[in-house]
Order: sequence, then C-alpha cells, then structure tokens
Amino acid sequence: MSYSTHTTPSGFLLPSIHAAQAFYTKQRNQQTQAIFTENWSRLILAYARHKRLFTLRLEDAETSGNPWDEIFRNTRINRRLFPNHLSHILQDMVSKNLAVYDPPKQTSSVLLFWRTPEEWADVLYEWADSTGLMNSILTFYDITEPVVPSQLSDIPVAILRRAINVLVKVNRAQLIAVADGEGVRFLAQTGR
Amino acid sequence: MGCLKRYTKPVDGTIPIPALLYDDEDLLTSQEGLGIYDGTQKSLRHQSGTVHATTHRLFYIDNSHPGSRSFALDLSHISRTEHYAGLFTSSPKVTLHLHSIASAGPSSGTDAVGNLSPSEDAFGTWECEVCSHKNPPGLSPAASSVCSLCGVPRSSVKPPIAAPIPSKAKASITSSHHLSTSLPSSSANLLALGSSVPPSAGEVRGENGEVSCPACTFLNHPSIPACEICGTSLPRLRNSINGHLPAKSAPSSRPTSPFDNDDDDDDSDLGDEGIRMIRLSFRKGGDKAFYAVMRRGLLSKGWESKGRRDGTTASTPRPNPGGISQSGINGLLQTVNTTATAAKTNMNDALQDLEALMVKAKDMVHLAEELNERLTAINAASSSATSTAAASASSGPNPVEPEEATFIRSSLSQLGLQMANAPVTLDMIRDERKWVEELARELAGVLQSGNGGTGKRQGVWDAKLQKDGGMMGRRGIVGLDEIWGGWNRARGVALIPPSTFLQVLPVLPAYTSPPIHMRTFVNSGISVLHTPPYTKAAFASRMVSLITLSGPRTTVEVAHEERLPIGLVQDMVDEVEEAGEICRDGGSGGGGGGIGVDGTEVWWCVNAFREYVWDGQVY
Repeated sequence: MSYSTHTTPSGFLLPSIHAAQAFYTKQRNQQTQAIFTENWSRLILAYARHKRLFTLRLEDAETSGNPWDEIFRNTRINRRLFPNHLSHILQDMVSKNLAVYDPPKQTSSVLLFWRTPEEWADVLYEWADSTGLMNSILTFYDITEPVVPSQLSDIPVAILRRAINVLVKVNRAQLIAVADGEGVRFLAQTGR
Repeated sequence: MGCLKRYTKPVDGTIPIPALLYDDEDLLTSQEGLGIYDGTQKSLRHQSGTVHATTHRLFYIDNSHPGSRSFALDLSHISRTEHYAGLFTSSPKVTLHLHSIASAGPSSGTDAVGNLSPSEDAFGTWECEVCSHKNPPGLSPAASSVCSLCGVPRSSVKPPIAAPIPSKAKASITSSHHLSTSLPSSSANLLALGSSVPPSAGEVRGENGEVSCPACTFLNHPSIPACEICGTSLPRLRNSINGHLPAKSAPSSRPTSPFDNDDDDDDSDLGDEGIRMIRLSFRKGGDKAFYAVMRRGLLSKGWESKGRRDGTTASTPRPNPGGISQSGINGLLQTVNTTATAAKTNMNDALQDLEALMVKAKDMVHLAEELNERLTAINAASSSATSTAAASASSGPNPVEPEEATFIRSSLSQLGLQMANAPVTLDMIRDERKWVEELARELAGVLQSGNGGTGKRQGVWDAKLQKDGGMMGRRGIVGLDEIWGGWNRARGVALIPPSTFLQVLPVLPAYTSPPIHMRTFVNSGISVLHTPPYTKAAFASRMVSLITLSGPRTTVEVAHEERLPIGLVQDMVDEVEEAGEICRDGGSGGGGGGIGVDGTEVWWCVNAFREYVWDGQVY
C-alpha cells in the first residue's frame, strides 16, 4: 500500500507517513514505535518551525481549533493523534534534547528546540552583529520585541537565556543586571 | 477407713487402663508394687497393686483382685501432697491430703460424689438441647457437662424433666443425704454452686421455706424433690446463703504436720471424717519419679481446664471470655477442620487405591488375555463337541453357553481389555526411550489417522476420530490440553500423565507426516501442536499477504479467514506483530486512546515503514 505526501493550506508539506492509519496508533512493537516516534518528532519540529511555534502542550492534541490541527488531525483518513501517544513522543523528544519540559517538573507542556540552543546562539550573534548592536547593553525585551522584526521575534525567554549562556561560555556575550531585570552585552570577537 | 470409701470410685481393674480413661484424659505414669494407707492405717484390701496417674485421676489396680478391689481417685480431691523418703524398713510414702468433699465440688460438680454411676453420666451419648449436637460419650464428667459444639451447659436450658438430665440433681440429693449429718452447711453450698438450675430460677422461696417451682411458681414443701403440680424437679433449698465455703478453710486451718502422722491423735480429735488423707506406700521404689509426675499433673489441673469453665457458665450467665474452649465459634471451626482433615485422608486413601490399581493394570490385561484365550478354546471345543454331538446325540451339555461367552467378551471389550488393541503401558516396554517412541507412534495415530493404539474399539469418540481422520485431520493447530485429553480418551485405560505427554512431544515429528511440532506462545503461555502451515513464518507471510491484498483486517476477521479460535489467532497475530511484520491501527476512536487495548477493535496493517525515508517538509 502506498501513501502520498500532501500540502496543507498553509503551505506545509506533510510526509507520506502522515497518511498511514497506523501512524496515529501507539504500537506495541518497540522497533515499529521507535520509527513512528522519530517521524512524529521530526514532523512536529518541522511544523513548529514552519509556523514559528515554540511551545506544545498535550491539550493541543486533545482539542481542535489550535495551530497544531494540521498535523495532529488527518481528516482525509479520519485519524488523529491522541494525548497519551503524544505524551510518549514528547518524552522521547525531551530525552533526545529536542525539547524541554517547560515549566519544569511537569510533562504536559514542552518548549520545542527546532533550533538547538547553539544554533540559536549563532542566530543571535549574527543578528546583533548585523544590526550594529555589538558592545551595547540590550535588555531581553529589546531582543524578543525588536523594532524591526527578526528571526528572534517572540522567542521565549527560556530559549533566549540558553542561547545567551552558550555565548557567555565562549566569551562572546556578558550577562549584566540592569534596572528592570537582566541585560546582555555582546562582545566583538577579537579573532573575528 | 472412711477416706477410701468416700473419695474413691470402684473401677473394674480387669479392663486395661487406656480403656478406662476419658477421651480428654491422658495417662502420665504408672508404678507397681504399691500399698495403700487409708488415713494412717494400712488398708488391708489394697496392699499390692499398681498405681496409674493420669491428668484427671489416680487409678489403683489391685494385683490379686483387680475386678473387685481396684479404685479410682479424682485428682481434684487432692489439696496437698507430701513425700516421705523412707527410713530403714519403712518404705517411701506419698501422702495425699484431700479436700473436704464439699469444697472440692464447684469445679466438678458431678464427680464430687463417689456414688454417682459413671456409666450413666460420663459414658452416655446425649443431645444438646440448643443445637441438637450429639455429644459423644467418653469425655470426663467436667467436659461432658457442656455441649462440645455450642458450649451450652448440658441442663441449663430448662429444668430437667426426664431421666438423663437430673443426674446432677440426683447427685445433689444423694450427696445431701449422705453428708447432711456431718457437713450440713457445706453440702448445701455444694448444692447451690453445683446446681444445674440457674440461680435466678430457683431462689424464690415462701415464708416457711417452701420452694417455688421454676416452671409454674407453685410453692412446694421444701422436702419434695419435684413440683407437685407439674412434676418439674425443684431447685434445692439453701439453708445458708451467706455461707461461703465454710469448709474450705478447714484443711488449711487444721493443724497437720507431716511427721505426726504416725500418731493417732488426729483421729480422736476430728473423728472419722477428719482424717482426709490417703497414703501410697512404694514397696518397690520409683516413688520419686512417680511423685514428680503426679505433682506436675496436679499443678496443671488437667481436670479443671474444662471443668472451671463449666463451673462459671453454670453458676453465672456471663460467658468466660478467656476460656480456651471446644465450644462456640472455635468449636465450629474445629469441627470444620476435622471434617476437612477426614475428607483429605479419604482422598489420599482413594488415590493410593488408584495407584495400586494402576500397578495391577498389567495383571488385569493378562487376566483378560487368559480369559479370552480360554473362551476361544472352549468355543472351539464346544463347536467340535456339537459337531460330534450331532453324530452321537448323547454328549453332555456344553460347558459354556455361547451367549455367556459373548457377554463376557463384550464386557471385556467395553472395559477396553481386548488384547488386540491394548494400550501401550510402561511395564510392557522396559526401555524408557523405546516406550516414549512407542507412545509417539500411538499419538501420531490418534492425531493423524484416527486409529491410534486403541483405535479399533467401537466408541463414539473413536468413530468421530476416524471420521475426521484423527484429531488433527482437519485442523492444523490444536491446543495441547485438547490433545492430551483426546489421546487419553482414545486410550481409555493406563492414562498418560502430562509429564509423560510432554516427554513424547519432542519425538513426535519423526512419526508424523507432515511433521507436527509443538509451539508455545510467549504472551499467553499456551502450547499448541501444529502442522507446518502454522509455523510463525508461514502464518506471518500468509497474514501479510492477506492484509496486503484486501486491506487492514481485525483479529476476528483473520480468525474467520483461518477458521481458528479467536484466542489462538490473537496469540499468533501478536507474534507476527512482535516480528514487526504488521502494525496496529486503533481506528478513529484511537483504540482506547491510541493504545489499542483489548476490547477495542484493532485493525492490522502491513508495516510498510521499516524502510521509511522522510519525504515531508525539509529545512
């Protein structure tokens, strides 16, 4: 039996496996389930990047009418992903550092790393460099809500902090306490 | 002289001691060569005998006249004991100081009095008036005064009317007569405590000492034992209600010194009733051991363990909470336990019989063979006889009627003892390996051709087997339990135990065509025998091609397709899933939340994703 890919109204290309009925059911066979989990996490991350979604909650699979409908529901074959299956997938993603539970110590909501903190750090540094903000002190708000929309617009503070921490470790940024919270100063690399 | 007479009961010493004991009485020790002193004087009639100490009594069995001179003494009468080691020609002695009769009473009301016939009281069966339990005979008087099942005292339910119950009342009467001259107050006390009638019922008295009948309240003259109006036996009159065992203090206050016993001054002071002691003179030694055992018996108060409870329940309506009893719920549980034990014993006996029968199986087969041969011979002889009889016309009657012969043979065949198809048994073939092989051959017959070792018999089962061409003639996969049952059914005798059955299975493929193998499912633990089309691989490929051709299928549909039980197919499908050939689809309902737990329909799809490569959006 062959399945075909499908493009959603929002322009996202769904993989062919998304059209397979069994893809939505949790498998008892561990190898089969591993394949399914891997493809689900890839699908989730790709879609999150497509839609610039940073958080995913279990309720998103439960109820309709949220941005995730396009991948969690397949009305063409009348199948949908169930929360307990999604929970299993999220657990796997967290264990592979593709996501973190946020807030911590619960398992119903995750922060998705469709870019790893290292990749985000590069993006951040590039952005500071290209916008001429090197060596000036920026608050987190300046970064997440820039006047000119950037790749970093609306980035959750938790991810931003991780990215900054990556930069701090290699001496390319410095965390500074400012009046209304925290600030960061990007340092120009002497070697660059 | 009075002590022996008053405190002891004559027993027939010709009866062996164990037969004299109550059911709840144990023999502790015995010592021969004893003489008895009644008080301080030798009792001339009891000078050579054996004394047995039990938990309840002391028996003296006379050597020369066991039938007439033997007696028994209740340990409950004994208040103190003394041991005298002996000096020069004087033998060691044990002195038994006795309670006055009245104070010994409460704990064992009936046997306080010697002249109560034991055969009437202790050794009779009686029925409890509350629970109708038939109490067995043979218990000690103390124990038998209470129903062993429900614990209700024997006669407290209603005032005694008929013969068996008034035994206590009778005892009371006789004792009061017997003792009234010397011990009026204490005997009355005994009556009050030992009385079978509840106190509340019998205490109403008229001004002149009339006794109120507990049944009709008529005031009877105090000396009448039974009500004049209705005949109910009356509670006995009490003369002194306040007198609390006045006689009990007598032994302790009475100055008795062990070394004064040779003097007769006690006798003169207290009279005949005063000397309440009996001495055992150990002519042949053994006194120390005997004395120790007897003292232990006295201290443990074996006669009281039940008697005390009886005393309390009889005198007060309040139950004794701490009493370890044979009655009440404990008694019921104990009865149940006893019944269960008996049933188990019976079952064990029956199983042993069965094993013995199995051992004899070979003999039976031989016997049948012999009988068969003999019948054949006789038949042949008789047929030749009839042929000659036609010529001579004067031959005697045939030794066996043909009808009888037929009957015997058909009986034998029904029993499965026809020699032509006797089942293989262990003792027929010595070598175990060969035996297993023979069994495998037989089983192969049962499975595939319908005529195993015993298949020639005429029976519904065999007919069905033959029609189907064996148990696996039409089916390719059958549960092990069914095969085992079917095989034993076909054998009829000398059934194969499961252990042997499992031994046979590994060699089975060599004797079957197509080879039949055993297979055990991991999930359910069920074992089956199957033909080659039902191996894991063969079934998997068949199932995959089925769902490839006709789309997803449920387990039920697959079972229908395979014409197999659903449970069996479920196990096989599970193994195919385990191999990763197929994957599950819980349907639009998610199969119980996506898991596809049992109870919701699961559709099986080909697992086409093992080589899947991402073909969606890429960044």
